[in-house]
Amino acid sequence: MCWIIHKSRLLYPTLHSCCCKTIHSDAKLKDPFTLAQKDLTSLYDDIKKELFVSKEELKSLNRAGAIAMISEMIHTASLVHDDVIDGSDKRRGKRTINEVWGERKAILAGDFILSAASMALARIGNNTVVKVLSQVIEDLVRGEFMQLGSKENENERFKHYLEKTFKKTASLIANSCKAVSILVNSDPEVHEIAYQYGKNVGIAFQLVDDVLDFTSGASQLGKPTAADLKLGLATGPVLFACQQFPELHAMIMRRFSSNGDVDRAWQYVLQSDGVQQTNYLAQRYGQEAIRQISMLRPSPERDALIRLTEMVLTRDK
Amino acid sequence: MLPATWSRLSCRALSTRGQRTLSLFSSSGPSNWTKVVSDAEKIVGYPTSFMSLRCLLSDELSNVAMHVRKLVGTQHPLLSTARGFVYDNRNNLQMRGVIVLLMSKAAGPSHAASDLLAQDMVSGIYPSQRNLAEITELIHTAFLVHRGIVNLKEWTVSDGPLKDMEFGNKMAVLSGDFLLANACTGLAQLNNTKVVELISSAIGDLVQGIYNENSNNTEENGLTDGVDVATWEEQTFLSHGALLAKSCQAAMELAKHDKESQRVAYKYGKHLSLGHKLNSDLQPFVKSSVGEPVSFSLGTAPVVFHRQIVGQERWRQQLQQAKTMRNQLDYSKLLAAVKSEKGVSSAVDLCCYHGNKALEAIQAFPSSEARSALENIASAITKF
Repeated sequence: MCWIIHKSRLLYPTLHSCCCKTIHSDAKLKDPFTLAQKDLTSLYDDIKKELFVSKEELKSLNRAGAIAMISEMIHTASLVHDDVIDGSDKRRGKRTINEVWGERKAILAGDFILSAASMALARIGNNTVVKVLSQVIEDLVRGEFMQLGSKENENERFKHYLEKTFKKTASLIANSCKAVSILVNSDPEVHEIAYQYGKNVGIAFQLVDDVLDFTSGASQLGKPTAADLKLGLATGPVLFACQQFPELHAMIMRRFSSNGDVDRAWQYVLQSDGVQQTNYLAQRYGQEAIRQISMLRPSPERDALIRLTEMVLTRDK
Repeated sequence: MLPATWSRLSCRALSTRGQRTLSLFSSSGPSNWTKVVSDAEKIVGYPTSFMSLRCLLSDELSNVAMHVRKLVGTQHPLLSTARGFVYDNRNNLQMRGVIVLLMSKAAGPSHAASDLLAQDMVSGIYPSQRNLAEITELIHTAFLVHRGIVNLKEWTVSDGPLKDMEFGNKMAVLSGDFLLANACTGLAQLNNTKVVELISSAIGDLVQGIYNENSNNTEENGLTDGVDVATWEEQTFLSHGALLAKSCQAAMELAKHDKESQRVAYKYGKHLSLGHKLNSDLQPFVKSSVGEPVSFSLGTAPVVFHRQIVGQERWRQQLQQAKTMRNQLDYSKLLAAVKSEKGVSSAVDLCCYHGNKALEAIQAFPSSEARSALENIASAITKF
């Protein structure tokens, strides 16, 4: 998250065309995780400290690191609540909190993580950063509400889906990127680049996730495939498939609740090019993320972020 | 000086709604309390609702309202919580919001801050303090909703269809989260990270308090070692006091009042909440309603006192004796057992202690209509 540290030679306007070369030259490949490893190793310990001791010593934690920690905490809190809402008993191959401790404690646990995150956020001491990350919390809930309803009109439905995807997934990444950029740089143009990068990577990430729900086996993703259909959710592949197979429309509207809906919808999706089209859309968001981040001056960190986008697009689990 | 302010308030109230004034001096328990709070609402210049209209009228909550209708006829607690918003009950009084506003008004305009303008004040209260009062109510309501989550593994046939319980949980999680999220963005808009930190810590306190509440109130817990009075106070502060205490303090911070004012405001909020909880815990024990079925939680103050007084052994015997044939607790029998000892009077004493502590704290502010209202509220919680 250090690509914005140098204030002066920040914008790198000529990179649009040559960014692709950077990606494909192996010599320059930077693995984003190796690059950030030093910062990440202590992240979970930091979260634990925040939840259990929450004392002065933690102020020493650097502020960008604090943002990374806070976004992970907000994310975790939302996952804990989502598992109660969806009635999931497994998350990434492990039993969920509601499964082990019951729904009441799971909700309290989520609320507690959120309060600890919010305190850590306040301790950074920057009002703008507090506002930017509080927006994420609101977006997450609004996204969850959007998931409750389906739209009758097909065009509206797609717009609804992308907006929901932004709120539920991309807002956290976009606003976290924006928050760190605000802490180290005063240029609003840079804040916008950071935000746009995060937003596009986030949406690409979720689109790929929605594809994997159809293409990946249960063992790889750690949850049963077609989980979204079972929850009554129509994601990208289904919405594209619906253009070829209008029969899907009725099923979407009743949220795949009739007997055999899930299997039939699944078959339609596999017969259609819904998966390819969603993948294509994901690629476009990925390219836009790369275009955005390439406007910053070159650095190993910037290249790592480009590489990260590629990894998001090509992951198979 | 107390009687003086009381008569002043009653005179003022007399002019508006004469017949209700009498209840100020009668000791009619909750209705007296209701009156004191609703009188106080007039001083701060706003009618009852602090729940932001933006929030109540949002698509999200209308959505929930629509869905909650499906729960009618089920046993899901969200239904009674939602009903509480519509019908006037004790939870709907929004007394936390009123107190935050009264405290803001009693402390008066800021002398320290140059960016706070006296002309922005409405009825002697800064806009940021009004927002804070609203946020306090949002958080309180969010947890009323989250308190009503059901453990699905404890589901029994008498709860109604499991599917309905799942759905009720879903709605409760979402609407509680929605209120909390609005509180978070509202807090951020206050532009004061100290206040954000303080109120966030109050949310953490609430969670811990409710967590303890869940594990103490169960009937099985009646047989194990219960909490002592000191622990009860600590836990009750977390579940019922921290939010108000910290919101009162935050209201002072928003007007840039000094540390001492902040301490006083915190103290008032803390003692008032504890007194208020003691008062409502005592209601089943002081009411003389013959024939009505009594019910109370085994975690209420008089029971906690009683257990400490009679000892674990006697308490276990009394619990056994209060068991009916069907192995259920006969609460009227248990009530009689508690009333026969000093548990009730000790709880009354503690209630008065906290009421007086709150009164004492508020004396630090100059005499005013708002301060009198805070005094009346503190006095009302010691009346039974």
